[in-house]
Amino acid sequence: MSDKKINILLLILFVLFAGLGTYQGRRVEFYRECEAFYRWILAIGTQERLFQTSEGEQKTEKFVDLKLFDRVSEKAIPILQSEERVPGNIDNTLSYRENFANIIGDISNDPIIWKLTLRKEMDELRKEFLKSLREYKIEFSRNINYAEAQESGVNIFNLFFGFRKIAASLIWLEVDRYWHQGLLYRMVPLMRTCVTLDPNFVEAYLIGAWHLAYNATAKLIDTPQHLKKWNPKYKACVGEKETFYYLAIDFLKKGIRHNPRDYKLYFDLGFAIYKNKMNDYPNAVRYLTEAVRVPHERWVRRQLYICQELNDQYEEALQGWEDYKKRFPDNPVAPRFILRNQGKIYEKKAQELIKEAEEINDEQLKTEKITEANNLKKQAKEIWKKLSSEESDPYGDYRLLLMDAMDLYNEGRYLESIAVLDKARWESPSNFDEASDLIIKIKQEANLPLTISEKKSVLRKSEGDRCQGMPEDIPNSG
Amino acid sequence: MKSLLDTVKGPWYIAVYTWREGLRRKTLVGFLILSLLVIFGATFMTSFINQATVGDVTTDMDLKLIKDICVTTISIFGILITIFISASVVPTEIENRVIYTVLSKPVRRFQYLFGKFLGIQLIIIMNLCLMGGLFFIALYIKQQILPTLLLWSVFLTYFEFLIVSALTFAVACASSSSVLPTIAGLFIYITGSLTEYLKDVYNRSGQTGEWLDSLIGYIAYILWNVLPNLQRFSLKTQIINSQPNDPPTDVLIPQLVIYGLIYAVCGYILAYWIFRKREV
Repeated sequence: MSDKKINILLLILFVLFAGLGTYQGRRVEFYRECEAFYRWILAIGTQERLFQTSEGEQKTEKFVDLKLFDRVSEKAIPILQSEERVPGNIDNTLSYRENFANIIGDISNDPIIWKLTLRKEMDELRKEFLKSLREYKIEFSRNINYAEAQESGVNIFNLFFGFRKIAASLIWLEVDRYWHQGLLYRMVPLMRTCVTLDPNFVEAYLIGAWHLAYNATAKLIDTPQHLKKWNPKYKACVGEKETFYYLAIDFLKKGIRHNPRDYKLYFDLGFAIYKNKMNDYPNAVRYLTEAVRVPHERWVRRQLYICQELNDQYEEALQGWEDYKKRFPDNPVAPRFILRNQGKIYEKKAQELIKEAEEINDEQLKTEKITEANNLKKQAKEIWKKLSSEESDPYGDYRLLLMDAMDLYNEGRYLESIAVLDKARWESPSNFDEASDLIIKIKQEANLPLTISEKKSVLRKSEGDRCQGMPEDIPNSG
Repeated sequence: MKSLLDTVKGPWYIAVYTWREGLRRKTLVGFLILSLLVIFGATFMTSFINQATVGDVTTDMDLKLIKDICVTTISIFGILITIFISASVVPTEIENRVIYTVLSKPVRRFQYLFGKFLGIQLIIIMNLCLMGGLFFIALYIKQQILPTLLLWSVFLTYFEFLIVSALTFAVACASSSSVLPTIAGLFIYITGSLTEYLKDVYNRSGQTGEWLDSLIGYIAYILWNVLPNLQRFSLKTQIINSQPNDPPTDVLIPQLVIYGLIYAVCGYILAYWIFRKREV
């Protein structure tokens, strides 16, 4: 072959491969765009499903996330419905937005959502998303390099060797140093810098929230309810400690938006903050339920069932523990909690029957109901005995004493009832407050003198749950 | 069949020779030792950081630090090794006049060049394996789970290096000294990493309404399309801390591999085109 021909052949080959490279580059670019769009859908879907009710609509006019999400939902739901991809998840009574947010909430639907973002029908919306991203109108998509590159041109730090992530790690070491020096006020801005540099730095969100909710509040005293101030953003009365709790909540929520598939963030929000610090069991159950929807460690479920029990959802807790026992037969905790929830279900049913009986005029029916309630009480007592003897759980003794005390109270034997309750509260210190409140209630009803601490407690309660600046139409702080 | 075997055998022997020669280069070994020290140092340093326990969750701060430091180290030293070796293999042989001895043998220029390119890739792979291997062991010791995502990250890093290596190799084929190709290699890497800027230029063009503004925009758009964009490989840092079974990652990895291979072939064709015209 002549030299010229070889040159032409090489030229053709070079142009051909350069063209192929261009084509492949466009393909990669397309997938990167889809990826940015997909991650934004996950973030805004999580925001919509979990935080929308607590934070209200997107107030800042500048951002178009929700409007765009509405349009994406309107397009996505009919596509998914027509292809019967997720028939079980679509509820016709809900709006497109709510339905789509629910579909996003299920991790098993991730491949479906990904395929949806690749579809031609989504081209227009994807382009609009990227355009909005470039115009800084998107609030919830700063967690992938591509999206960031589109949003702020190209970041030099981001380009070379992933320096940003390492910078975030090094700043975190500084945060750790400040923590050991007790310079808490210096830590907070640095923690924010860390997660700005690396929004996928899950540990920074976890430890940051822990510092805020636990360490920052360790030496603070409880603010009396009447000195707390109403916070319209959180719709709650907020004192010194609560301010830090809500800062921790906001920090974790930010982490969840950027990492909606990480159970640790949901777990910490539900367990470490809402359950342990705020005793807000409905929210604890809500976020722990989210934690078990994504891949998680086996103990996460246990905390969910404990919170369900605390939130009076005994049936759900019992079902959960039974399922847990089947999966992990070696677990020593499950049998104890199964008994606890069984006992509470019997007690709850007995109380419901007594309430029903009080409202019925037919004597025969009334007697039947009361007999049934007494049988249920007996069954509950059997369970509490079993819990005490087989599982050595003091809670069993406490519930037995409590039931005895309530029986005595119902018979009008107030002094004996108080004596039994006094014994019960020392048997199970974790239930001290519950038993003390009952003692006060019985003493007040029987016109018996209160102790000084009991009088103080009554006084505190009489002040109510109102705080400074609380709107009149809200009955209590919640 | 025999001739086909001979066609393959020749480049393979040259590749092995290049690889052995690479092992003897003090600069490369220096880079490698330095990178291994940093990776080891990261593991050592993070062992002083106490694991914090938040609620019932034990956070993996040390793990995150190891990952970030090691990925950065692999990128920095890996690219230096890649550029240095790709820029020096052919010019050194021309300088030492070894090339004349080799080409006087029944070896065609295509085979010689292919052997050299293969040898360079062997060195890069070996270095990546050593650095990635140590990183892998460090992570495995810390978390007691096989860090499979790390393997994907290192795998993608190789294809990023492959593009830089092929283009630097093409420049090296036109040069008789390794200084110019080394500078060119660094320039290729920086340019490749900044290609995304061109899209930004295109997006902002046309705002003044002047024809020159639009023209610059179109040129930027063409260049953005044609030039290799190393920013696309940023997935390698993204996946290291992400969750497994992520649908976009599963699709993007093979796409990036194909992307890397195509530009590597492009670079090799360019190298051969330049080299066959050289009077050696």
